[in-house]
Amino acid sequence: MDRLLQNFRRNRTLLITLAVFAVFFLLAIRGMPAEEWVITLLRSLAVGSITFLVASGFSLIFGLMDVLNLAHGTLFMIGAYIGWTVFVRPDTFVDVATPAGLIGMGIALAPLWAYAFGSGTLRLPRSRIVPWLGLAAAVAALWWGLARYPITSWDPAVYAESPITYAFAAGQGTLSLPEPELFTSSPYLVLAALAFGSLAAGAGMGGFSAGRSAGAGASAPGTRRLPRGALIAAGLLLALALGTFFFHGTLTAALFGLNSTARFVLAILVAVGVGFGMGALVESALIRPLYARPIYQILMTLGVSAIGIELVRGIWGRPEFTMPKPAIFDGTGEGCPAVSLADLFAHQCSTFELLGSRVRTYNEIFVPLLGLIVLVAIWLLLRRSRLGMVIRAGVQDSEMVEALGINVRRVFTLVFGLGVGLAALGGVVAGPSMGLSLGMGERLLINALIALAIGGLTSFPGAAAGSLLVGVIQQFIIKYGQIGISIPFTEIVFKPTPPLVPASTVLLMVIVLLLMPNGLFGRRD
Amino acid sequence: MIEVRDIHTHIGQYHILEGVSFHAPKGQITALLGRNGAGKTTTLKTIMGITPPSRGKVVYDGHEIQGLRSFDIASQGIGYVPEHRAIFRDLSVEENLKIAERKKGDFARKQAMIFDLFPDLARLIHLPGTNLSGGQQQMLAIARALVPDNRLLLIDEPSEGLAPVIIEQLMNAIRTLSAETTVLLVEQNFLVASRLAEFYVIIEEGQSVRAGEMADLAGDEATIGRYLGAG
Repeated sequence: MDRLLQNFRRNRTLLITLAVFAVFFLLAIRGMPAEEWVITLLRSLAVGSITFLVASGFSLIFGLMDVLNLAHGTLFMIGAYIGWTVFVRPDTFVDVATPAGLIGMGIALAPLWAYAFGSGTLRLPRSRIVPWLGLAAAVAALWWGLARYPITSWDPAVYAESPITYAFAAGQGTLSLPEPELFTSSPYLVLAALAFGSLAAGAGMGGFSAGRSAGAGASAPGTRRLPRGALIAAGLLLALALGTFFFHGTLTAALFGLNSTARFVLAILVAVGVGFGMGALVESALIRPLYARPIYQILMTLGVSAIGIELVRGIWGRPEFTMPKPAIFDGTGEGCPAVSLADLFAHQCSTFELLGSRVRTYNEIFVPLLGLIVLVAIWLLLRRSRLGMVIRAGVQDSEMVEALGINVRRVFTLVFGLGVGLAALGGVVAGPSMGLSLGMGERLLINALIALAIGGLTSFPGAAAGSLLVGVIQQFIIKYGQIGISIPFTEIVFKPTPPLVPASTVLLMVIVLLLMPNGLFGRRD
Repeated sequence: MIEVRDIHTHIGQYHILEGVSFHAPKGQITALLGRNGAGKTTTLKTIMGITPPSRGKVVYDGHEIQGLRSFDIASQGIGYVPEHRAIFRDLSVEENLKIAERKKGDFARKQAMIFDLFPDLARLIHLPGTNLSGGQQQMLAIARALVPDNRLLLIDEPSEGLAPVIIEQLMNAIRTLSAETTVLLVEQNFLVASRLAEFYVIIEEGQSVRAGEMADLAGDEATIGRYLGAG
């Protein structure tokens, strides 16, 4: 008996979570046919998975660095828009890759400049104005170069050339790419300006970070290592820039000719890669100088978020549009909706029959499956790798981790990049199921924050359980909005209205936080 | 081995160290003594780069290391055992040791030596850090500093809050490992410090006021009474 009680106390959080789920299911099943709640549950899994992709990155970043990254939702949205561009307009992607690669190269070289200044290979100019001059020269050169770089894209102001039209055509399989834009001035001059601008930007940034750590004794041997990772990254980005420049036409045609499933995979890879880069850049350039001032940090992430939304509005336009599903999840012809797994694979159906109603393959099977894969992958990373060990230790005491000889700053940059990469992955995957809009990031961020508050802010299982709960509650409330809940012992049938959908999760959060102030899986400190 | 020259350290607006200088010779144990709040812990943190000095020099093995980031300082071969042990709760005992590796295989090479010194740890190897007692945590914290090839150990208050039997065990361990490593020890308990250390430095209100051989201090009731309180 004593043993039982002890066991109960130890696993209290788990048992309470299970109890909440159980009560919920009982409520859900009441007055709802089995097939309805199975499908509603699958839908909840889809919403929960995407919420989880945002929440897990947010929680990793907050846990390790104590940074509340309010730009996380916006970065999720940017991931979606980048994925859409690669998927629907590969020509624009190839056009942008050259200048983006060149600019990325210069910025990736910033640690090399810091190394050169720090090790005395180059003398850091005494005047603090010099790095600013470098940045000013960079902005001027990049401005000049980018204005002259031809990028074939869309025009949100003209309906026939807007993303909506291209997205629709891509979905119908009738997409044809517009004539590519051409250089109006010497291409090599423009490339040279971009390369110069990016190198100057990297030198300026390197100068700033070397200036910040100036005054170090640094006569000790082996403390300054050549930043090899930065060199490799810069080399790869340069190769990308030159490759996309010289094989421009071939690449565009090849990407356009790819089947849409392969292009979707490419879209995911590009968005995750760009997301990682954006995250690493935001952390190292904007967040790092502010670790001693948390309030400024929060304001900084809010600012990044606002700028991100305006950028997206400026480039892709205000109206919402869709991202077509990849072919493998979009079959509609003969044999669809599928009635068996064999059919599903054979015809790549967009829907299939389950318990007498239709289930969407992409939303209800692929998205939850991906969520599960990411869950397992992060769990393995945290539990089985050295990086994961360092992250778990750093969440508790990053000062001690650093005192063991581990460069925690680099781990911070890596984890920030990883978190934003996860959000970008969520963005691309959410594109085909929820569409692309300027508000999608904020909506998701709020869901993720509620999920984390429920599950425990820095707990990884908490992020998963909280996201799942948020998905379940929202989808079941939506379902009840259609069929109504009959209140026991009365004749009243209550139909939740749409505003109750977000409200219901907030309500759950309030209840959980009142009972367990640290969330379901949070640690009492 | 390590020499500190007139270091000044500010934490926020407070001027904590106002001129600490001493020299800890190679292969010996040097104890930093002084009352609570005198600046002993801050001295260790300043050497470690956790609270970098605003003035003065820290010379380790002939090289200046002040102003370097603490991971760089640690990589020079300095191990740090902080005041409250800072065991990682979420990591198992084994992971707590492995995280200190600077080269792959460090732990495998040192395992026998560490378990020889602290037999308890071998038994606890798979337990999470949060389940250890205070004495076990202290052993783990010292063991963690032994995993890489450190030539200098900074140990802060190893006896704090521990039972006499455990303290005895820890003292033996520190004595054994000091055969190969230089140790800089902060110790509130004068009895422990006087039995372990060959040299002492007294810190009073952020300044080093006295230093010498422990053997000379042990009989000097006046000095002990003046700087260390009851003793």
